[in-house]
Amino acid sequence: MTEARIHDRGYLAYDGPRHSTRRAMLNLAYHTIQRVLGLKRSNWQKVLPALALLIAFIPAIVFIGIAAFLPRGEELALDSTADYYGIITGALYLFTSFVAPEAVCTDRRSGMLGLYLASPLNRDTYLMAKFAAVAILLSTMTLGPPLLMLIAFTLADAGPDGVTGWLTELGRILASGAALAVFWTALSLALSSLTSRRALASVGIFVGLLASSAVGDGLAEAAELGDSYALLDLVGLSFEAAHRIFGESDVGGPSISAVGTWEIFATLVGLIVAFGAFARWRYQRIEVAG
Amino acid sequence: MSDVVISARGVQKSYGSNHVLQGLDCDVGRGITGLLGPNGAGKSTFMGLILGLRPRQGGTLSVLGVDPDRSGPELRARLGYAPEHHDLPGDVQAADLVRHIAQLHGLPRRAATERASDALWQVGLGEERFRPIGTMSTGQRQRVKMAQALAHDPDLLLLDEPTDGLDPVQRDDMLALIRRVGSEFGIDILLSSHLLEEVERVCDSVVILTNGVVGHSGSLQEMGSVTAGIRVELDSDPQPLATALAAQGAETTIEGHILTVTGVDPVSDLIRDLVADLGLGLRRLEPRRTTLEDVFIEASQ
Repeated sequence: MTEARIHDRGYLAYDGPRHSTRRAMLNLAYHTIQRVLGLKRSNWQKVLPALALLIAFIPAIVFIGIAAFLPRGEELALDSTADYYGIITGALYLFTSFVAPEAVCTDRRSGMLGLYLASPLNRDTYLMAKFAAVAILLSTMTLGPPLLMLIAFTLADAGPDGVTGWLTELGRILASGAALAVFWTALSLALSSLTSRRALASVGIFVGLLASSAVGDGLAEAAELGDSYALLDLVGLSFEAAHRIFGESDVGGPSISAVGTWEIFATLVGLIVAFGAFARWRYQRIEVAG
Repeated sequence: MSDVVISARGVQKSYGSNHVLQGLDCDVGRGITGLLGPNGAGKSTFMGLILGLRPRQGGTLSVLGVDPDRSGPELRARLGYAPEHHDLPGDVQAADLVRHIAQLHGLPRRAATERASDALWQVGLGEERFRPIGTMSTGQRQRVKMAQALAHDPDLLLLDEPTDGLDPVQRDDMLALIRRVGSEFGIDILLSSHLLEEVERVCDSVVILTNGVVGHSGSLQEMGSVTAGIRVELDSDPQPLATALAAQGAETTIEGHILTVTGVDPVSDLIRDLVADLGLGLRRLEPRRTTLEDVFIEASQ
């Protein structure tokens, strides 16, 4: 008997289930995370995201090692978990400036934005999915190492005292890590929305962050115009907010330490809203067809 | 499904002081419809309104029975769109891109993977589906765009200049594919183009936009059944016949040995008599069918 095979099934209609727009957003976020991390891309595309993650996690691993293997090693560890954010500033700079712009710039340059907006996504749901993707990746750096240290120190009997202390520390880590991730994501998307060129966005974000620090410090301390001018230092502001969540203050220099806690939180939230609104405004004006 | 796929009444769209669509009225039926018009006529703007990418400023628009402004996401799940541009992410495999777009249109991952593969086979890229798009030719990229528009089984396919940048062979292949999608696959198509010949080859009907309004719309078959004068082919210079016909009030145009005569009724008897009187050799005498070019020129004026 000869074996029969169908080589051309022809075109088949699809009458199976279809997911909602929310699933499309999840799919876009997942795809964006893969793309930003350089997965399914050349090895060169993996270098910067891997470097950022290494810079973020290696100090935590070192601190855990010190606490676990050296006698009285916990004394060499951090005074506060919030101090960790200062150590990984380079990772946040690197990721926000040179990795995160890939999330949106390439879509505009390659025409994928047109295909996305011709799907059930619209400009708002597209931006939300992109925001979620970048925020998840930044959270990995701002939440991952402190959580890892909390768990490791707890297991090494060097963690916070009591259940209440432990839960308070956990809550502070979650709040500060999320605040940093959301703030840096909003900043990155807002500046990336200005151009379809990833390199230009990277330089813009990097220089913008450095400039904001220089201007904030310069006006508040060198020119002595007032402590509130220190809020212009976006990096210092975000780290100071993280410290305030831990009930501390000392990172951004004497000026920002003198600014009230609610003023700092209000500025942080205001800037997140402003950056988000700016990115939305930009995307409402981008022409993709018609 | 209704026989009207797209219905527009008094649709208006402006960008600042530039009134791109100025009360557009048309019905697009089943099958393949060509959306023709010179650059700046409003074709892409109309496509954008159909996709619900931009709100219109006046009139009513119904696509597959729903208003794109109110139900954009639900509508776009049922639409396939192949844009004009050739840029697609170069480092992404064709199969990954098509699957990703199918998933965005609501297909579960497994179904999206299978249909992405099927769609790429259908457009002739079965063997090439795991190649990065950046390594593909313009013709292959156009096929990838077609595959991503097809994979989620849309009810209506919007194709924006699908033969742009293709060589003649690739163009023929693409037109054959479009014809196949419209006939065998049973998917309605709106094909935006500025090339009359390709619209005439693959479309069932046409909507011609000029200056933001519909200059003409209708079936190509009906259009072709309308006669527009008589074509006379002589074995010699047709100028004496043209002069004689002009004296009788006819309008003539000469292309080589072929004379096109309009404006006199019944013109064929008159031509027969004049040819006999002038002693000319008559090779062919036939009714001249209205061409898309005739309609386009008339609509553009």
